[in-house]
Amino acid sequence: MRNHSMILLFPLILNGAGFWAAAQERAAAPHPASIAAAGPNSSATAKSGSTQSETTVRLEGEKRFKANCARCHAAPHKFPPRMMGTIIRHMRVRSTITDEDVRLILHYMSQ
Amino acid sequence: MPKQRLHVVRHVLPGCRSANAHGSNRTCRKFSAACCVGFISSVFMLAPTRLRAQSSGDDSQRPVPILSAGAGFITTFDSGDAHLGPLVAPVLLIPIGERWLIESRATFESDLSRPSGSGGFRGKLRKEVDYLQLDFIANPYVTLTVGRFLTPFGIFNERLYPIWIRNLQTDPLVLPIGVGPSNASTGAMARGGFRIHPKINLNYALYFSALSTVHVLDSDRSAGGRLGIYLPGPRLEFGGSFQHLLQSERSNSFGFHFVWQPPAVPVDLRGEYARSARGSGYWVESAYRLNEVPLMRSALRHMQVVARAQQFFASALPSDSLPAANTRQVELGANYYIRDDLRLVSSYGRQFTAGANANIWTIGLTYRFVAPLAGRDKSGGVD
Repeated sequence: MRNHSMILLFPLILNGAGFWAAAQERAAAPHPASIAAAGPNSSATAKSGSTQSETTVRLEGEKRFKANCARCHAAPHKFPPRMMGTIIRHMRVRSTITDEDVRLILHYMSQ
Repeated sequence: MPKQRLHVVRHVLPGCRSANAHGSNRTCRKFSAACCVGFISSVFMLAPTRLRAQSSGDDSQRPVPILSAGAGFITTFDSGDAHLGPLVAPVLLIPIGERWLIESRATFESDLSRPSGSGGFRGKLRKEVDYLQLDFIANPYVTLTVGRFLTPFGIFNERLYPIWIRNLQTDPLVLPIGVGPSNASTGAMARGGFRIHPKINLNYALYFSALSTVHVLDSDRSAGGRLGIYLPGPRLEFGGSFQHLLQSERSNSFGFHFVWQPPAVPVDLRGEYARSARGSGYWVESAYRLNEVPLMRSALRHMQVVARAQQFFASALPSDSLPAANTRQVELGANYYIRDDLRLVSSYGRQFTAGANANIWTIGLTYRFVAPLAGRDKSGGVD
């Protein structure tokens, strides 16, 4: 019975942590992730006003890339964006990379 | 290098199975129901959270199927006996839409040796499906997986096992603990990673596995999980794993792991501790890339030196894959990255056991490639 309770307790704790994280994410703005979420081509339309943000996002993406990918293996060279999209989805599952890290790394690797 | 296997469940006494059959089945059904409720509540309670699309909807960003592979040829000298180990492990990735992914890895390997100590090398080809799974990214916090997947126990099996990733080509002694036969499970899993604080990421995996006795897809009936905390600032990750066998034997396994990569220096520090009814042990590994050594820079920046120490404490219960006696092992290795996907590897190890001590040498070549399963455009990109 204790095992069953633990199984149920785990997702409840997880969900609580998830909602807390979501609330924090909403509260923390502006954030590089929000810029990255707009896609790699967003900087072209935003013109010079977003140049600084674009640089920030790129640097943040590079930082996350080194922190996450190098945790297990030597950092690979860049791949074409469509390949990178698949690879990062694979690594998201394999290495439980956060959604935000996925977005920033994909943005950085797609430059 | 032969893959280690743990057939703990096959060693139970027949009497135990029959005596507990009725009660065990009821308990198993309840446990399965509890697991299902756990998975479903995870998905639905988190459903209101948003999931931003991975791709922008632009065709030039849409993920394509990929074929990747790790390959290598490792020669091992174990107590003076030479073993030749050719290996290829193709990985197939098929993204579907924005939230689905089919992924699979198979391993084809052989352990060629000279049975009589002379003459030609002989060995059989071994084939295995390491994983064949369907992933659904439900939201930023939960990814659901069904099929055959690598058992999330510790860090080595899931993250460091591929031949082109591991720093030393020998397996840690405690690798078979908590991962089941063939290091894989067959069933369902919920997993994910998210930020719980600006400086703290949490990652988790929770799974249920069914018994499978199919030759290349074998797995144990078990449930378990892993929880990890990652601090991006100091690049430190630590966590724990748990597995409960749900067969005639109802034993528990648990373990702890850590990974630390100090941002200031190119050093990797990793370690695991694992404990089961069949034994316990730990390994600690350190790897250092010499790219910051101000000497012979052009040559040394491709070089990596590795050291690993490990110890195993045997239990009275027998196991097919764990050492039969208390064992200590120390290894030193040197790897040379010809390119980021092609590497020369070598190591020397000394194993100390109650029976006899032994030297273990390895030398080899590892290679990894990635290729899209779609045509290339003129610019070299994927169209």
